[in-house]
Amino acid sequence: MSHAERLTPSRVMTLALVGAGVVLLAAPFWFTFVFATQARADIFRSPPPLWFGTHFLSNVQLLLERLPFWRNLGMSLYVATMTTALNLLLCALAGYAFAVHEFAGKKILFALVVGSMMLPSFLNMIPTFLVMDLFGWIDTPRALYVPGAAGALGIFLMRQYIGSAIPRDLIDAARMDGCGELRTFWSVVMPLCGPALGTLGLITFINAWNNFVGPLVVMHNADDYTVPLALRSMQSPNNTEWGALMAGSAIAMLPLLVAFVFSARRLVAGLTAGAVRG
Amino acid sequence: MPEGAVSRMVALAAAALAATAASAATTITVATFPDLDRAAKAALPRWHAAHPDIDVKIVSLQYLDHHTAMTTALATGSGLPDVMAIDFRYIGKFAGSGGFDDLNQPPYNAGALRSQFVPYTFVQATNAAGQLAALPADIGPGTLLYRTDLIAKAGLTEADLTRSWDSFIAAGVKLKAATGACLVAESTEILDILLRSDLKDGQGLYFDRSGKVLVDSPRFVHAFEVGRAAQKAGISADATLWTNEWVADLRSNKIAGQMMGAWLAGHLKNWLAPDTAGKWRSAPLPAGAYASYGGSFYAIPRRAAHKVEGFEFARFMTADVQSQVNSLRTLDTFPALLAAQQDPIIDEPMPFLGGQKARELWRELASKVPLIPVDKYDAMATDVIRAEFQNVVKRGKDIHLALADAKDLIEHRARR
Amino acid sequence: MHDSRNTLTSDSAIAPLPPAPSQAQAARARWRKRARKLAPYAFISPFFILFAVFGLFPLLFSIWLSLHQWDAPAGLAAMHWVGLENYWYALTDPWFSKSLLTTLWFAVASGVPQHLVALPLAFLIHTTLKRSRNFVVGAYFVPYITSSVAVALIFTTLFSKDFGVINAILPGPPIDWLGDAFWARITVAIVVFWRYLGWNVVLYLSALQVIPGDLYEAATLDGASRWQQFRHVALPLLRPMMFFAITLTLIGNLQLFEEPFILIPPDSGLAIDVMTTAMFMYRMAFSDGDFGTASAVSWLLFFLIAALTYGNARLFGKEGTGDVAR
Repeated sequence: MSHAERLTPSRVMTLALVGAGVVLLAAPFWFTFVFATQARADIFRSPPPLWFGTHFLSNVQLLLERLPFWRNLGMSLYVATMTTALNLLLCALAGYAFAVHEFAGKKILFALVVGSMMLPSFLNMIPTFLVMDLFGWIDTPRALYVPGAAGALGIFLMRQYIGSAIPRDLIDAARMDGCGELRTFWSVVMPLCGPALGTLGLITFINAWNNFVGPLVVMHNADDYTVPLALRSMQSPNNTEWGALMAGSAIAMLPLLVAFVFSARRLVAGLTAGAVRG
Repeated sequence: MPEGAVSRMVALAAAALAATAASAATTITVATFPDLDRAAKAALPRWHAAHPDIDVKIVSLQYLDHHTAMTTALATGSGLPDVMAIDFRYIGKFAGSGGFDDLNQPPYNAGALRSQFVPYTFVQATNAAGQLAALPADIGPGTLLYRTDLIAKAGLTEADLTRSWDSFIAAGVKLKAATGACLVAESTEILDILLRSDLKDGQGLYFDRSGKVLVDSPRFVHAFEVGRAAQKAGISADATLWTNEWVADLRSNKIAGQMMGAWLAGHLKNWLAPDTAGKWRSAPLPAGAYASYGGSFYAIPRRAAHKVEGFEFARFMTADVQSQVNSLRTLDTFPALLAAQQDPIIDEPMPFLGGQKARELWRELASKVPLIPVDKYDAMATDVIRAEFQNVVKRGKDIHLALADAKDLIEHRARR
Repeated sequence: MHDSRNTLTSDSAIAPLPPAPSQAQAARARWRKRARKLAPYAFISPFFILFAVFGLFPLLFSIWLSLHQWDAPAGLAAMHWVGLENYWYALTDPWFSKSLLTTLWFAVASGVPQHLVALPLAFLIHTTLKRSRNFVVGAYFVPYITSSVAVALIFTTLFSKDFGVINAILPGPPIDWLGDAFWARITVAIVVFWRYLGWNVVLYLSALQVIPGDLYEAATLDGASRWQQFRHVALPLLRPMMFFAITLTLIGNLQLFEEPFILIPPDSGLAIDVMTTAMFMYRMAFSDGDFGTASAVSWLLFFLIAALTYGNARLFGKEGTGDVAR
């Protein structure tokens, strides 16, 4: 799609609309960083502060006094990365199978996959705890990334994508060329899944990062908390140190931003058009 | 060797071994939540000096997370701490669950401590079967904090606020006219106090001894009526507590009165409205009402690993005068231990309250709070009553209808 | 090896037949055929194994629990059998039906705008923005990564009745966004919309990458306006992704818990007005101490979600579901 980047009236309007949206949507994000630099008493000023203050370092200092924050960040990074890596591989595999193969029970099995997303999960705390206790996985990161290693959401996404974006001819051709299934999957299909993998990777990373119910059930040491749980543990009903909490939240959002930037390049990169042309 | 000598030597050896084992360090786990965790952490140096062989690991989670995690642990019997901190809102439910040791029994014999604490706290920690499930750590005696400068400007005195509810509302109207300030943040405050007024010892708040729901009684009707009258008179700022509105109103002279636990004074000073220092005073609640806002407890789970040591720690935090006074100093929490209430710190003038020796007042207020038993459905009943009160006040629902609906719902919910 | 096929046509009648297979080649071909038959099962097995271990037990436990009355702090032994009574009890609870209506209201009020806005927005970004694309998408996506704690604090600040920026900008008397039942629901719907708009934009953008550029060029040559290209070129090809994204929105909104929970304190008088079914379930379990009924409610909710998702799948039809296997 090649439009010259000139300022036509419609382009101006588009930019204005999109720009307004950017401001409205990014405002809370902006405020997180602003509040991270303010003292608690100033956050509740009226009107609230719109620009950065000078309390960032003291907020961080308070944060570090209260929490083993760097350890928590490390734990979050580890768990989120493992979950993402496993998801990308296992969901792509399963999504490929559902999209491309015909096999007995396929409809039912896929319905089970999607159905598993519909069960509200926070009641699972007690049985999940029992299972983890049985395995001796309490207080281990394994308990956090193994259960979600092949998420239903990822399988659903990959199936939709592979089913609709990868031409059947390509797969047939690979098979006729003598590729086994695994080879077809790995060498032919996966390279074309850039946008989907980028999206899935990003979503999985963010969800794994923000999950606090899992760690709440499984981790019983402040050192092993992930960041959301740790930040929550700093909240008090009447006396939360909001400045420090916002500083922690702001720092915790940075890896997610990095993950976004990293996957954005894959997301917006086009398909290699060559494979599709006749 | 003669038989007797051998067995004596074996006995001596066994005793020696046992002695060595007992002096090895044990670690106990204390599960708690902010801000109570800070009191426990601050007490650690003194604890280690007194008990060098017992290490303490403090695990702290957010208030809701903590109680959720404890519910999970109690449900599965696994992952329980040795000492569990419990907030007032959950004490009824946890105490009634049977998951905790009865502290009246040996080896704890905490019944002997009863006379050392503010009486109503032991009542709160005792379940329907008469078992003492926890020791009280701190209390929140209810007080009316008011802006003396704004009251004076309207030509009012403290007595006008506290004499009766009618005079309170009338004072509120006068205050609003003269200064634009409101006497309450939300009319629910009045409701809560009135429900607790004139209760006799042993009388339940929402349920009586047999579990009958009491919400259609005259006490409730009267409370709803006064609450509605207050709302109609316009003396409420309609600011939900702990929101920006409320904080801003406190700072900008829009709220001239706040009924709350005494600990609020500390928060006002620290961050809520530090610039209003010197302008607040603390008074008893209007119309001779005595109420308690919140409170914390320490309990010993039945299936904990180190119960005796855990109880030592719980006793250290609650029955030790120095610990209680230190908590007061660090967190502004009011001690549940009577001896701690005699400490000189109680007689200190408080600059934020214009030099008033408010803690002496709070001590007196605490001693007059009636012994109201807690029921495990109290939290649920509170939610239902609050929701119906909103219907009455905001949507003009008839009071008797509202209370009848509340009763139906509470009965539906409180399946015994 | 066969001649390499540079022309990838599916018309194999034109290609020369391969030479007759040898014994080893035949064995290999048979093995490959069996492998191909078994492969799908192998590929999907990680999910099902993990599900069997970590998902099945909680599921069965939850069904079992829904047939018992259980006050959890009393320990596992305290469960006692009540059969289907919990289901009946939930269905006759006035707060349950209220929560269902609230949940459905949120699903529509925040779900419909999400997609109505995300679709054309993704198209606009895809077609008109080149250099600023990543930045704009990032800005739209940022709500999804903002932590709940921050969301709660900042939105209550922005929507404050007397001191919020929103009321400062809007003309007319100040709206009690977080104190009035009617407006509180709207505020929650706005926050959910805010949170997930960018996610849907990202999903649709990734699907738009797949649509070949020459389709648009052909349409432009035919004189189609931008809007017509959107409607007749992009939209039909986006159906699989729409099905996916709308299913997710449906499932997510019907399970809505977090946004109302963090914006309206659970003990405020308004809490009941924004209570979704998931919040009702939480309250049953952790406030009323009735885990059995909470489980029953979670299953009732599951049936509702399953029914609506099935309906959604029927609406989108075969091509919508991206099923290309023959």
